[in-house]
Amino acid sequence: MSVNRQLEIDLEAFGLDSIKRAAYRFSDRFAFDIALAGTTAHCTLIFPESDSSSSIDAKIAAFRKELLDQDLRSSIRAETEHVRNLILAEAFSRTGLVSDEPLQGD
Amino acid sequence: MSRFKEIEKFQAPPQGGYQLLPFRFTALEPEVYVATNLAGEYHLLRSDALCALVHHELSPRSADFIDLRAKHFVTDSRSNVSTDLLALKVRTRYRTLAEFTALHIFVVTLRCEHSCPYCQVSRQTQDRAAFDMTRETADKALNFVFRSPSTNIKIEFQGGEPLLNFEIIQYIVTAAEQRNLSKRRNLRFVIATNLAEATEDILRFCADHSIDISTSLDGPQDLHNQNRPRPGRNSHQKAVEGISLARRVVGRDRVSALMTTTAKSLDRVKDIIDEYVRLEFPGIFLRPLSPYGFAVKTNAIAAYSVVRWLEFYKEGLEYILHLNRLNIPFREFYASVILRKMLTSEPSGFVDLVSPAGIGIKAIVYNYDGVVYASDESRMLAEMGDMTFRLGQLATDTYEQVMLCDNLLGPIEASMTTSVPMCDECAFEPYCGADPVYHHAVYGDVVGRKPESAFCARNMGIFRYLITKMRDEPTTKQLFMRWANS
Repeated sequence: MSVNRQLEIDLEAFGLDSIKRAAYRFSDRFAFDIALAGTTAHCTLIFPESDSSSSIDAKIAAFRKELLDQDLRSSIRAETEHVRNLILAEAFSRTGLVSDEPLQGD
Repeated sequence: MSRFKEIEKFQAPPQGGYQLLPFRFTALEPEVYVATNLAGEYHLLRSDALCALVHHELSPRSADFIDLRAKHFVTDSRSNVSTDLLALKVRTRYRTLAEFTALHIFVVTLRCEHSCPYCQVSRQTQDRAAFDMTRETADKALNFVFRSPSTNIKIEFQGGEPLLNFEIIQYIVTAAEQRNLSKRRNLRFVIATNLAEATEDILRFCADHSIDISTSLDGPQDLHNQNRPRPGRNSHQKAVEGISLARRVVGRDRVSALMTTTAKSLDRVKDIIDEYVRLEFPGIFLRPLSPYGFAVKTNAIAAYSVVRWLEFYKEGLEYILHLNRLNIPFREFYASVILRKMLTSEPSGFVDLVSPAGIGIKAIVYNYDGVVYASDESRMLAEMGDMTFRLGQLATDTYEQVMLCDNLLGPIEASMTTSVPMCDECAFEPYCGADPVYHHAVYGDVVGRKPESAFCARNMGIFRYLITKMRDEPTTKQLFMRWANS
């Protein structure tokens, strides 16, 4: 037996990737299902029966906070993707580890 | 008229605001976050400052902004060399990758006169033919050693008890030195030995060839002898006598010791540290049991959880800090490895805490029977019947076949922390490692699910603890900076 709790998340506020990343981070505390309907993600959080109601509430509150963190991480990733690649290319440019030649099959 | 511009000129907001440079963040406390950049520099900031930073609303005059700009988390019109400096630090951090395999472990025998319950591999037998490395196998292993492009080559002799096959150690050392006359590498040797069989003649050879001695010392006499049974129940006495003799013959700085934490050790961390202080070692490596071999069979692993081990570790570190406040210089080596990553751009040589994983490409094992394994832990898994990290056989396989085999490249590629779920966004990624062998052994998967990973919980616990100590105790931070830089 398990305890299910529903959560609706507006996909215009949080990206699906952020929701999945947050769910993975909490995968030791609850199982997770997502069903999409328009711009809403209908999430089912599945807790072990042994979890108390207050424990479940605390985990959901922590999950909501994690969603905010994931949203910030998504902003950082988007803004810094170009410079991240630039820095890594520059960092390894003289090591001999990276070839300028395209790999076979490219 | 002043020759300098007014201070306001330097405090003026930069033109065009600021741009974020790549960084990760992880909660340290409910309202405090650790942020790290690509080079591993870290900064603590409150959640409201983090939000403001990401939304480009952080005041350029705030202390956070000034620090973040100095540490290359942001760049603006006044700091246009940030990306170049960051690239330089990243390059420094990863420079040992191109060096390739530096540590070459020779398992010269499986024979041992000890019967430690946590040991993975040893055999109590006199059968030299069955469990000793031959000259033919040693020669083939040396061929592999010198194929590595590394300028630094360390050959480590392990067992069993390697001194039980000292003849092959002498042969390998002499042969390696001969080959190195033309190869010209920085060649070093170390013997991992319990010292029970050490004689003055053996140690004289070690002194003549600058061979380091790494021995086992689990703590005071009663604990050590419980952990490390041998005929005569005198393992501790043998170790202490051996340490004394080795220091006299080989040299004080060439003798080090390692301990293993068993369930019996958990309430004794101060006793263990006191024993290391009494024997005048400069520090200790508080290390947990590996989840392999007889440690699993004898249930020694299940005997304590990662939470209990962290309590043991923190109690030990607090005691070491106390000793330093009493002007007794002493350090904890695992913390030193991590602090080096946190406080410098220098790469760490510690094989278990790197990404890409160090298996094969930083360290490799040549077993007594010619089988090549990706790491010491890999051969321990093989002793349990798991050949996942068996790379080949010296008698039949070429260097290329071994180093390019799927058993090596597959786990290295799959476990890189920059692309593993949760690791890729973790602020502690620059300090952590991949360790695919551990995750395979415990979770049956070289990546493992990080929310459930004891490796992740153990290391995250230490990272958080060290960062919190440095924030709360300026004198501890000064001490940690010395550990990181020496």
